Amino acid sequence: MKLLYKELALAAHPTSFVFAFLGCLVVVPAYPYTVIFMFGCLAPYLTFLYARETNDAWYTAILPVSKRDSVKGKCLLILSIQLFQLLISIPFVFLRKFLDVTNNPVGIDATVAWYGFGLIIYSVFDLVFFPAYYKNGYKAGKAFILAAIPMALLMTVVEGVVHIPALAWLDSYAPRDLLLQLPILLAGILCYGLSLPAAYRISVRRFEKVDL
Amino acid sequence: MTELLKAEHLYKQYPGFTLQDVSFSVKPGRIMGLIGKNGAGKSTTLKSILNMVRPTSGTVTMLGKDFFRCEKECKQKIGVVFGGTDFYPLKKLSSITAVTRQFYPDWDQKKYESYLTQFDLDETKQFRSLSSGMKVKYLLALALSHDAQLYILDEPTSGLDPVSRDELLHIFIRIVRDKKRAVLFSTHITSDLDRCADDITYIQNGHVLKSADKETFIRSFEHLKSPDDIKPLTLEDIMLRTERRLDDETAL
Repeated sequence: MKLLYKELALAAHPTSFVFAFLGCLVVVPAYPYTVIFMFGCLAPYLTFLYARETNDAWYTAILPVSKRDSVKGKCLLILSIQLFQLLISIPFVFLRKFLDVTNNPVGIDATVAWYGFGLIIYSVFDLVFFPAYYKNGYKAGKAFILAAIPMALLMTVVEGVVHIPALAWLDSYAPRDLLLQLPILLAGILCYGLSLPAAYRISVRRFEKVDL
Repeated sequence: MTELLKAEHLYKQYPGFTLQDVSFSVKPGRIMGLIGKNGAGKSTTLKSILNMVRPTSGTVTMLGKDFFRCEKECKQKIGVVFGGTDFYPLKKLSSITAVTRQFYPDWDQKKYESYLTQFDLDETKQFRSLSSGMKVKYLLALALSHDAQLYILDEPTSGLDPVSRDELLHIFIRIVRDKKRAVLFSTHITSDLDRCADDITYIQNGHVLKSADKETFIRSFEHLKSPDDIKPLTLEDIMLRTERRLDDETAL
């Protein structure tokens, strides 16, 4: 918890907190909701950029922690931001239903499948971004571009797929369709649960070889 | 007497620079000065000791433990300051301290506050608004407030006015007075070492030219004396004449 506290109090870029709250955008009647995940991916990019400019790695290195802990702190921070973003969106999905907002004409609605796809997008982004950044400990831009390519492709697929009539159930709030979507959510949880620890382990291995 | 720090055969290879076979030790109750011209490898040595750069080979024993195996444990008992490095420029000192103290179970808030008063530091200020001297003082206040046994300081007196430097040197002397703690600091202001160091390690082109107590160190450079020198050589004389001699040899 000390590591997370340090990240939240000193290292996180203030905009990351704003991005974390953007889960609430699911209440907007017409909006490409996968963009919300892009904000969840921009948060690590800005935070790593900010950390580099504020000599966060140096400060952390003089604390009684190892390079492994330094990576762990960042992973915990990003995990918190991304999960918070998804959790904060839930009451807004219900608010949307309460306000009886019509189906999102732009693309996928905030259905159970949307949450699953979101976790898959985060999994892929984090798995590319963290190890790419910790290869040298300072090239945040390059790491973001590398990770943003699969992220953008996945976003396009998720937004587009619901326009195929046979897959319209992905965009539905009908209880039967929500049940059908459940495996996608489970797949997302599984992907995220495997990807972030893998990203952490690869990043630690790489960062331990980096000279500050 | 058990050493608080023992660096043995540290090697670090960079393109165009190699830290080679760096070995020295710091004993309790001693202040060791690490001298050498810019680029000689002083900071690389300190960073290798702290695992901030990964040495190609070599061992570091700190407080009787293998530092690379017990890094977290060892770091609890050391205070580290790198002069000239800015952390979180937009954060207030109080925010940085609030985080720092979480990591040290032996944090002494009263001691920290007394250093703030002594150094005229205002905790409500942002880090960036401090002068370079005040930044070093703040980082020292952090390093001095968790009952460390070993202080590793890289160029702590650079950028400080003579009064502040004198104040710091007195603090160093006070730290080691109990014969349990030690200070290792790198500097190019050799007059500071003339005043307070017990031991000197001279690094030249990535290797240790000499590491000894100050008297032995100065005696070992007697051959650099000219017939006109009546007084013993100062550390500055030793450095200047050694580096000049090396330059002459390289030119030939």
